[in-house]
Amino acid sequence: MESTKSKPRDSTGSDLSEQIKAATKDSHVRAENTQLMLNYQKGQITQTQYKLLLCSLYEIYQALEEELDRKADHPAVQPVYFPQELARLESLELDLEHFFGPHWRKRITVPAATHRYTQRLREIGKDSPNLLVAHAYTRYLGDLSGGQVLGKITQKSLGLSGNKGIAFFSFPGVTSPNRFKQLYRSRMNSIELTEQQRQEVFDDLQKMLSITEEASSEKRNDTASQSQSRTFSNSPILQFALGVGITLATVGMGVYAF
Amino acid sequence: MGCMFSLPQDRLVAAERTPQIRETSFIEKMKKTNRNIVVFYGSQTGTAEEFSNRLAKDAHRYGMKAMVADPEEYDMSELPRLKEIPNSMAVFCMATYGEGDPTDNAQEFYDWMQATDDELEGVNFAVFGLGNKTYEHYNATGKYTDKRLAELGGKRVYDLGLGDDDSNLEEDFISWKEQFWPAVCEFFGVEPTGEDSSIRQFELVVHNDINMNQVYTGEMGRLNSFQTQKPPFDSKNTFLAPVTVNRKLNKGGTRHLMHIELDITDSKIRYDSGDHVAVYPTNDVSMVNRLGERLGVDLDTVFSLKNLDEESNKKHPFPCPTTYRTALTHYLDINNMPRTNVLYELAQYASDPQEQENMRKMASASTEGKALYQSWVVDSERNILAILEDLPSLNPPIDHLCELMPRLQARYYSIASSGRVHPHSIHICAVVIEYTTKTGRAFKGVATNWLKNKDVTDNGHEPTVPMYVRRSQFRLPFKASNPVIMIGPGTGIAPFMGFIQERAWQKDQGKDVGETILYFGCRHRNEDFLYQQELEDFERAGVLTQLNVAFSRDQEHKIYVQHLLKRNKEQLWKLIHSNNAHIYVCGDARNMARDVHTAFYEIAEEMGGLTHTQAVDYFKKLMTKGRYSQDVWS
Repeated sequence: MESTKSKPRDSTGSDLSEQIKAATKDSHVRAENTQLMLNYQKGQITQTQYKLLLCSLYEIYQALEEELDRKADHPAVQPVYFPQELARLESLELDLEHFFGPHWRKRITVPAATHRYTQRLREIGKDSPNLLVAHAYTRYLGDLSGGQVLGKITQKSLGLSGNKGIAFFSFPGVTSPNRFKQLYRSRMNSIELTEQQRQEVFDDLQKMLSITEEASSEKRNDTASQSQSRTFSNSPILQFALGVGITLATVGMGVYAF
Repeated sequence: MGCMFSLPQDRLVAAERTPQIRETSFIEKMKKTNRNIVVFYGSQTGTAEEFSNRLAKDAHRYGMKAMVADPEEYDMSELPRLKEIPNSMAVFCMATYGEGDPTDNAQEFYDWMQATDDELEGVNFAVFGLGNKTYEHYNATGKYTDKRLAELGGKRVYDLGLGDDDSNLEEDFISWKEQFWPAVCEFFGVEPTGEDSSIRQFELVVHNDINMNQVYTGEMGRLNSFQTQKPPFDSKNTFLAPVTVNRKLNKGGTRHLMHIELDITDSKIRYDSGDHVAVYPTNDVSMVNRLGERLGVDLDTVFSLKNLDEESNKKHPFPCPTTYRTALTHYLDINNMPRTNVLYELAQYASDPQEQENMRKMASASTEGKALYQSWVVDSERNILAILEDLPSLNPPIDHLCELMPRLQARYYSIASSGRVHPHSIHICAVVIEYTTKTGRAFKGVATNWLKNKDVTDNGHEPTVPMYVRRSQFRLPFKASNPVIMIGPGTGIAPFMGFIQERAWQKDQGKDVGETILYFGCRHRNEDFLYQQELEDFERAGVLTQLNVAFSRDQEHKIYVQHLLKRNKEQLWKLIHSNNAHIYVCGDARNMARDVHTAFYEIAEEMGGLTHTQAVDYFKKLMTKGRYSQDVWS
């Protein structure tokens, strides 16, 4: 019997997980985020900035998780629906309460760019749930990858003790981040999308990345910071950066606007 | 935007300034407590941590002061500052876990090493790695740490040490550190002070008049959590699950394989097939009693061991106050062979000079000493009770013994049932460990024997098992239509019983269920074909579309699961390459997992026309994408 001779699949293949990974890797936003993330890494984050970051994360996660919950049975959401392992809203509420006190809800402030992004998430949830997975993937897997390191950095920079104020960065429901990411990818790849639907996912991804770039460049003009392009290996911090990049960029814009 | 931005300049500055609440600087701690050596550990089961403690104690003999630190609790990015302390050094005891990963508590340090470009000039370091050669990425974390710290400019004081738990981790460690210390002394230009006495880490407090509800009786976390059970249940708060079934699985042979069912009704515990159940076993009652008799103590004395180092986060070595009986039964590992440091520390209590000399010799790195330890302790499988019985002049105080013994670890078993089909019951499939040692003693595995004795009696008495569920990522594919190829010889079949039950349930739901293929292996069809009835029923019902069993000893030549895989190479390659099949391997990591990998590479090479490198890459990709999962143990 003739053996099926075939080339092994190339690196981009037709797996959604690999395609999204490739798309986000090429993002020019990375270079800009590198500078932001370098600052964060060096512990150059003030309490004000961190609180703003939490506010933005809260708004974003509230939208994302509400939409995911609403559409939990949708064929493009159900496979990657892992509230027990991933959900961030509750831990964000704890962190916000830690910094703002019991009336934290009234004290949340978010920059316009975060609003725009949150609105986009709501639109997607309502009209095109197929697109939710790309957002969930970049956010959650980024948080899982780099969040731990940044959690410690935040703890040290702000003089926090225990888990207070940095509950966001810990994922008690995940025993092995690596294995979880593998599982998540296999789930993503089981989502059935037509060619056109896939294209929509990538167009939306591009849109998201350009919102970030826009926000970053506004900040750049204000602060005249230099973006350094560096080659890191698969640094988990940078994976986190991409997800947070949107948020950090918006934070940056908010703080430096004055 | 928010009124915080309209604060006047000075108040804004004050708002930014936050007080330091907790000391996360190991540099400051070292300066404050006058230490020049810090020993960091990347530890999952406590071994690396234990080794770190021993290194710290060693330091004293050489006129240095060391502190042990958990990298998770400190700011590791301060490492470049180590040069602020004269004659300083950072030692790393790093275990490698799973697929060449750092341990949980070393993950952040690992990430920092990867991402940083800080310079470690003037920072002296040494690394000892704890690993296991049966795993593919042997000592990856230790090796990486050593390489990376040097790359960043650190000064390597002594060569990387590699310990192999598959062969003799203890010996590897001893050999390494016996060379390490002289090298350190030479590096710093100091003479060893040669103190031979041991140093206690904890002090004994006896409680004569204490309310018994203040005393721990085996809880891991909250006092009285056994009496008042409150969900959620986890490693510090276990659920006492009644045992409802405990039956022997094999029909013959000398081993005892068992199927156990735990009742989790009312616990609010939920699980998925593929998850692990963690159980906290206890030591054999008669062994504990014999220890008490031999040491001449009242085991029901209530005591605490308090850390002499007040700065330490670890107040007690195990939950205190408690009784000696509880400590020896629930908290301490008294079954495994003691490490050489235990012999070293206890030697002072041997009144017979020959016995004392032998103990010191076995703890030393001399060739004669190592050989003696190997034969007298390791090969003869002498545990602490055996040692005490065979060295009659040895009379250590029981509290010092309690300080030296390692902690009794929880055991994890792959759950053998589906959470959908059996939501109130967790099934376990395990083989009882017992054999006769060279000295004619019986070695019995703690957990498996403890489980075996959890008999459900005629009067309906149900013994309980303290447990919790640890979620895994070992899961059936999302789509029921995805084919699955399960490879689980021996007790490796456990999670697949759950998987198959779940596929049956999916079929009942009217779903389109894909090929469900099992490769199982055992010794003899008539002896240890586990779950034969259930599997054949599933096969008849069409749930298990293919049941392949290798009976290794039923014929002249050995037949294992990998041989059966090769026989079906065409079908397998089609399923994998064209039908998106998910592959699952469970069981022995030592040989089976590797042999199965090899069989798959060969199939890809033969059927897919790939080179060996391409085949390896192909399966690595499958792993990344979650299509090749392993649940293996060594």
